[in-house]
Order: sequence, then structure tokens, then C-alpha cells
Amino acid sequence: MSPSDSDASRFRSATTDRRGERDLDDLLVHVARGDTEAFEAVYDRLVGPVYGVIRRVLRDPSQSEEVAQEVLLEVWRTATRFDPAMGGAATWVMTIAHRRAIDRVRSATAAAGREQKMADVRTPHDEVAEAVEASLDRERVRRCLDGLTEVQRESITLAYYGGYSYRQVAELLKVTLGAIKTRIRDGLIRMRDCLGVG
Amino acid sequence: MRLIRQDRHALSAAYALDALEAGAETDRFTRHLNRCPSCAGEVRGFREVATALAIAAAAAPPPELRARVLAAVAHTRQLPPETTARARPRRSRAPWNAWLPWLSGAVAVASIAVAVFFGLAQAHTQAELNQARAENQAIALVLSAPRVRLLSTGTAKGGEATVVLAADRRELVVITSGLPALPSGQVYQLWLIGKTRIASAGLLPPVQAGRTAPVLASGVLKGDALGLTVEPAPGTAQPTTKPILALPLPV
Repeated sequence: MSPSDSDASRFRSATTDRRGERDLDDLLVHVARGDTEAFEAVYDRLVGPVYGVIRRVLRDPSQSEEVAQEVLLEVWRTATRFDPAMGGAATWVMTIAHRRAIDRVRSATAAAGREQKMADVRTPHDEVAEAVEASLDRERVRRCLDGLTEVQRESITLAYYGGYSYRQVAELLKVTLGAIKTRIRDGLIRMRDCLGVG
Repeated sequence: MRLIRQDRHALSAAYALDALEAGAETDRFTRHLNRCPSCAGEVRGFREVATALAIAAAAAPPPELRARVLAAVAHTRQLPPETTARARPRRSRAPWNAWLPWLSGAVAVASIAVAVFFGLAQAHTQAELNQARAENQAIALVLSAPRVRLLSTGTAKGGEATVVLAADRRELVVITSGLPALPSGQVYQLWLIGKTRIASAGLLPPVQAGRTAPVLASGVLKGDALGLTVEPAPGTAQPTTKPILALPLPV
């Protein structure tokens, strides 16, 4: 069950130093100084995950595109506040992206349209499994998700990809709030160890 | 209802997935992170897991997005960096502080929205409307000032007060949530409490739907603490009851 070191370091390398390109943190530091070329490099490296995670949460392509644009502009605008000592650039950007998507979900206007789409929600595990032929990162995350118990996996994917609050997840899975908190936490601890991050 | 400490630790995972309820629950946990370095470290690790989940969900965006973003970038000024005057020793130890700009921005926007709603909704005459607009502008100036600090604390009567302090302007904005509504004839009064004087800093507006609209207090001096008391309407010259809140202001 426990991941090999090489797997963990491969995951790290994918987020920080892919193919010998300039380190993402370093690029962001240059973005903060108004370097638009550095911004283009950051864009090219992170637009896929930014758009992908927003799309996963919102589902609607045009809304997702709009939110992705806001997020990337926010990265440009606030790069001056990025401090590598406080966490990696990818995490900084993904946190902004996910939060913006969640804000959109929880705003009243988005809620109405989203309810209807609930009917055809596939199980999160299938969605992840769909991504099989994709990148090493994806494969790695999939394998770590597979290492979780069913309920841990469901709780985490409903919360993160589904954009539900833990209270809503508890309601969906018909378990107590305390149980959901524990499952999300235990699941994330296992994921953290499996991915070799944190 | 107060969460027990153990429960609150358990929320670090849900927080890292943005799965706490927006508003009071998120605010409360954010404050808890302030006092709990181990939780902050845990959140940071969980955020890396979330990042991996995001990377695993990568999808090709519409190709035209790139040109649109780059065009917007060409027309958008970047925020100035935070200067060292703002950096406090505690910040470097606590990675969650990285999110403070986001947080204060969100609170600021929410406060302005609340201010506009309360202020303008209650205005009956053009003069009142003008006054409400002027107050909103003054509040907006504090919220958008550089180097604002966001402070938050519970009160002895329950609920909490959030203070946006613009030390450069010697002004602050106070919003509260969860304070009990007072019987008629009583008001919540703010005070600036210094070594040599206690100055009234105005009244909180009446509690509506568990919240009070933002109020501006000016003339903050070095060493002041913000106090809150319950006083007979329409307020008193000096406090007559024990403060339900006393918050030192880092000016």
C-alpha cells in the first residue's frame, strides 16, 4: 500500500520542475515583477489544472471558462503577494481556482442551474477512472484514491470535485457530521502519505 | 453552540478542501488557525493533496482563453507588494497567512455589500441616502486601504466582531455577527480605550438577522484597544458597564 519513493518524487517533480523547465515558484516571483513572459509560462503550465478543476466543479463549460479567466487574471494581479516560503506556486494557484469555483457554486445564481444537473452525476470514482490514459500525475492520484476506503474516496471526491460542503456530503451519504469529518480527514492523511506530499 | 477543541482540529481537512460552510464556520476556523500552528501545518499538507486532485482533473481549455487572459493581463495593474512594515514575526511562521489577502478581500466585498444593503435600504429621504452613500464611501476607503489588518474576536455575550484596521488612516471598520439583539432602550457602543482617554467610537447599528452593518471609527491612537459595551440608548459619554469585548489594536 505504501508508495515507493520514486513515485513520490515523480509526483513532486511533475508539479515543480517538469522537463527541466524553470521552477514554477521562480516563475511566479518573476511574474510579480511584471514579467509577462514568465506569466505566459505559468499560464501554459497551470491552465490545464485550473480549467480542469473548475470545470469538474461547475460542469458548465462557458461558466468554467469565465471563472478560469478570472482566476488567471487574479494570479497575475496578486503574484506580488505570493511567498514561496508559505507553500508552492501550484498550490497557491489551485487554491485560488478551487475557491473561485466553490464561490460560484454557492452563489445563488449558479445553484439553480446546478440542481438539474445532479440527476446525471456519475459516481466520482468512475469519473476518476475515466482518466486512465492520462498523465502520470493523474495515474498516480488515481492509484492513491484507489487505496482509500470507498467512503473516504466518496467523501473526498464529493467535497473537492463535487463542490459540496461537508454538511452536504454528510446529507448525501446519510452519515453523521462527525463521521464525515473523520472520513475526509483520514482519507486526506492517507492521500498525503501515498502522494508523498505535505 | 461552541465546538469542542477536538472537533475543530478535525475541520482542517474539510477546510483544505473548501468544504466548510462559507461565512461564520469558515471565519471561525480561520481564526482557530491563528492560534493553532499544528493545524496550519496540517492544512498546508492537505492543500498539497488538493493540488494533486486538481492536477489530476486537468482538462484542455478552449484555445481562445489564452489570448483573452493575456489581453486582460496587458490592461491590469498588479497589486503592490506588501512592504516589510506589514510583515509581522507571526506571519512567517504561519503558512495560512498566505491566504490573508484573499480573505480580507472577501470580507471587504461582503461588508460593502452589507453596507450598501443596510445603509441604502434604510434611507428614506434624499439626505439620508446621501449620508448613507458618504458612509459607504468612507468605509470602502478603509477596506481598500493598503496594509489593512483583519482582526477578529468573540464577545462575552456570544457572537464575534471583525475589525478591518487601516492603521495608516487611523481608522477601522467593525462588523459583527451573532451578537444578541438588545431590548429597546439599550445600544451597543464602541470605545477607543487608550492610556489617557476613553473615547466613544460610535454605536453599532441594530442587530438585523444576527449581524450589524459596518461602522466606521476614526481617530485610533497608538496603544488603543477597541472596546464594546452595552449602554442605555442613545449612548453615553463614558462607558458605564463592563466591556463585552476588548481588542488591542496594532497601530
